[in-house]
Amino acid sequence: MFSAYLPLFLMVAVAIVVALVLWSAATFLGPKNPTPEKLTPYESGADSTGTQGVRPSVKFYVAAILFVIFDVEAVFLYPWASVFRELGWLGLAEMLTFLVVLGVTLAYAWKKGALEWVK
Amino acid sequence: MTALFALAPLVLLLVGGLLIMLVDAFAKERVEVSALVSTLLGASFVVAAGSLLADPNPSGLPAEITRYLAVDATGYFTDVVLTVAALIATLAAGSYLREHELERPEIYLLLLLSTFGAMVLARAADLIVLFIGLETMSLAVYGMIAMRRNNARSIEAATKYFLLGSFAAAIFLFGAALLYGATGGTSIAAIRDAIRGGHAEPALVMLGLVFTLAGFAFKVAAAPFHGWAPDAYEGAMIPVTGFMSVVVKAAAFASLLRVFTGVFGDPLLMHPTTGWPTLVAALALLSMLVGNLGALGQKNIKRILAFSGIAHAGYVLVGFASLHAVPEDATAAILYYFLAYAGGTGLALASLVAFGSKGLEAVDVDDLVGLGKRHPLLALPMAIAMLSLLGIPPTAGFFAKLFLFQAAAQAGGIFAWLALAGVALSVVSGFYYLRIVVALYASEPAEGAVVARPMRSGYVLLAMVFGSALVVKLGVMPGLYLDLALEAGRGLFH
Repeated sequence: MFSAYLPLFLMVAVAIVVALVLWSAATFLGPKNPTPEKLTPYESGADSTGTQGVRPSVKFYVAAILFVIFDVEAVFLYPWASVFRELGWLGLAEMLTFLVVLGVTLAYAWKKGALEWVK
Repeated sequence: MTALFALAPLVLLLVGGLLIMLVDAFAKERVEVSALVSTLLGASFVVAAGSLLADPNPSGLPAEITRYLAVDATGYFTDVVLTVAALIATLAAGSYLREHELERPEIYLLLLLSTFGAMVLARAADLIVLFIGLETMSLAVYGMIAMRRNNARSIEAATKYFLLGSFAAAIFLFGAALLYGATGGTSIAAIRDAIRGGHAEPALVMLGLVFTLAGFAFKVAAAPFHGWAPDAYEGAMIPVTGFMSVVVKAAAFASLLRVFTGVFGDPLLMHPTTGWPTLVAALALLSMLVGNLGALGQKNIKRILAFSGIAHAGYVLVGFASLHAVPEDATAAILYYFLAYAGGTGLALASLVAFGSKGLEAVDVDDLVGLGKRHPLLALPMAIAMLSLLGIPPTAGFFAKLFLFQAAAQAGGIFAWLALAGVALSVVSGFYYLRIVVALYASEPAEGAVVARPMRSGYVLLAMVFGSALVVKLGVMPGLYLDLALEAGRGLFH
């Protein structure tokens, strides 16, 4: 069993070696001339301000969750759409059930104000 | 269509849950969601119990359903256990949340959908469906624990449980992937056939089963996968603790029962020489030790019940370890134990809800001192629950332990010693269970001490009456329920 995977292991080993060689070569051979300017974090050329410990609004989380739900819906819909003739009525019924469940949750989230940024 | 009727307990919860969501969102006035959800759970319970008594093994169902969800007596039995436990938790929540001004309709919906996930988990005949059920159940529980947003303990509990729970889910999934890789199937029947036919790499199967076992052991809080339980139980609200300690545990155990009896199929594959019974026996012994000894030093009642839950997971695992020798008896004993444990722990936590009121919540054993003298009738269910968890006749717990240890004794060898250890550690457990009874009935509060004041609410009283009736009935006439459990367990062996 292992012999079948030997090329794969070899490739992993080569990848590790190459990465180590390039990285250590850059570390040991490259010229070093640090200035305060060079050591500041790069933020699109502008001076960085403020701290990094900003608390993002919890609304991003709700929006992200809703996005994931409908993203997954799309992931399910595409394969279904490509074979829906073969699946027939059973497939249609199953997909409709799925969509109804999603629709109810969307209505719930909407009515409860999850889609409004400012209440 | 017949399939929809056969799965009515699940369909009711799902359709009803979606309708309640819509009603809650669109109703002009405030809706009593707790009443709606408990009615729905009650209906599901009645349908499941009716199916179990009338037609426990419906035939002629399409394979598209039975390949993924088992429709058999075991399924109806677990439905009954899960709906009973969820009903007690919902009724307790109906009182608790209003009294402590935490009322939010979301928690009942999460509870309902979590119960649905638990029922899917308990019926899953395919590892993918199993995982979906597991996550549906768990994600809702994380949300329910975190519901008290401005309470630091509750957030701590939710974070701990969420992180460890995700790890456990990943470990389970890894095991499932290994099983799939070794056997080429995700359905439990396909995995069994591949193992029986000798088409599977034994090392991969072994590794896969060990990982899935670890995932389940986490969910049921069996030692050494129990570390999260005391903190999570303590941080959650009392009704949520009740839900977690019974529904999650029973569903995970039911699923483990299906996977183990299903994958191993015939008792020969579970023979002690394969090492499985010994491994499970080690888990059982460790859980009984950690649970019973850990509970001794606790003051907080939720923590005591968390450790008691670990110990009870150990007792159930004793039954799992004896599956190889007496498959049908051990399965029936395990199923019966679910019902007894659900009644006992659910009743204890419902009583704990009833003992407290706003600002005077019952938390520690000291808060209960003298309560039985001031309110003899109200304190009685707690005493019944403690006696049942300890295993004193005539309560459910006595026969539950009797059947389990009997099965282990029949298995002989190290399993008989395991049963003996279980009995010895049950005696130890008397110390912490009876301490609560003594606090209730046989001691007086110190002068000026702050004690819990019972609330006045109908919901929790209903839960207490229901739970007490269940625990006592199981203890007075165990035969009827044992027959049902035997009937339910038989479906797993064919």
